[in-house]
Amino acid sequence: MSPAYPKLGLTHIAGVKKVAMQIFNSREDVEFYEIGVFDVNWKPINFVSLYKIIKIDYLSTVKFDVYLTDADALKAEYLCSRSKLRSDKNNKAMLATRICSRFK
Amino acid sequence: MKNFIVTLTLMLAVSPVIAENIYINGDVESRCSIVQDTAGRWGNPSANVLTTLPASGGQVPIIRFDYSLANAYYASISTPISFSTSPSLSDSTVFTGVVAVTQTSSSDMSGYQAASTTPAANTRQYALTVAGTTWFSATSVATHGGGNSTPFPSGSYTGIVVASCIAM
Repeated sequence: MSPAYPKLGLTHIAGVKKVAMQIFNSREDVEFYEIGVFDVNWKPINFVSLYKIIKIDYLSTVKFDVYLTDADALKAEYLCSRSKLRSDKNNKAMLATRICSRFK
Repeated sequence: MKNFIVTLTLMLAVSPVIAENIYINGDVESRCSIVQDTAGRWGNPSANVLTTLPASGGQVPIIRFDYSLANAYYASISTPISFSTSPSLSDSTVFTGVVAVTQTSSSDMSGYQAASTTPAANTRQYALTVAGTTWFSATSVATHGGGNSTPFPSGSYTGIVVASCIAM
């Protein structure tokens, strides 16, 4: 997910800030990624995006915007994407990957 | 011919200055990526134990972190503390996990394990201070029933290792 250090910008709506992000899927075994915004203590923060779970084909890039109110923007510290896994019938420890950018 | 020259002269006279914008575009991908190098698998050496240890028929998952920037990311790896899928269990399950550096692309990374921290009981966090590649193992053991050694019911069990790359 990039950029690693996103900066919130202004929107045409008063009191709302926006950041443009993109995710590249390098995992062949993953199709969906969930995005989340967290404060410094990893508590979730409200945000708006077109989709919170995004389908990304293998080796593809998807661009998306995240909107935060000014109050939430002050608290936001991390913006993360986490892979969504499908359950299967094997007794195995599966790997969920999470990439977190940090607001500057 | 005369008309053509007049027309051309008029066109040139009224043409605005033409400026071409030359764009340079570039996409920057994340400088940290996580790859599952080896899939994990629980073995079932005794009725009430599931373990990823190879000696017990399991397989320890190996996770590879590639990062091209020094002092920019933390690697954080959490072993399971519950099953994501399992049959209905009649007793409690205790999970233990160990995360370790198994291989590095640079000898300068030899201090990663000693310098790592444990922000949560099942989580180990490493400061990635040298650019390159590091492989981590995440051993997981699940014991059912505590002192009662209650056997696991038959069925499929899945646990999830969470590997994070967090910007510093």
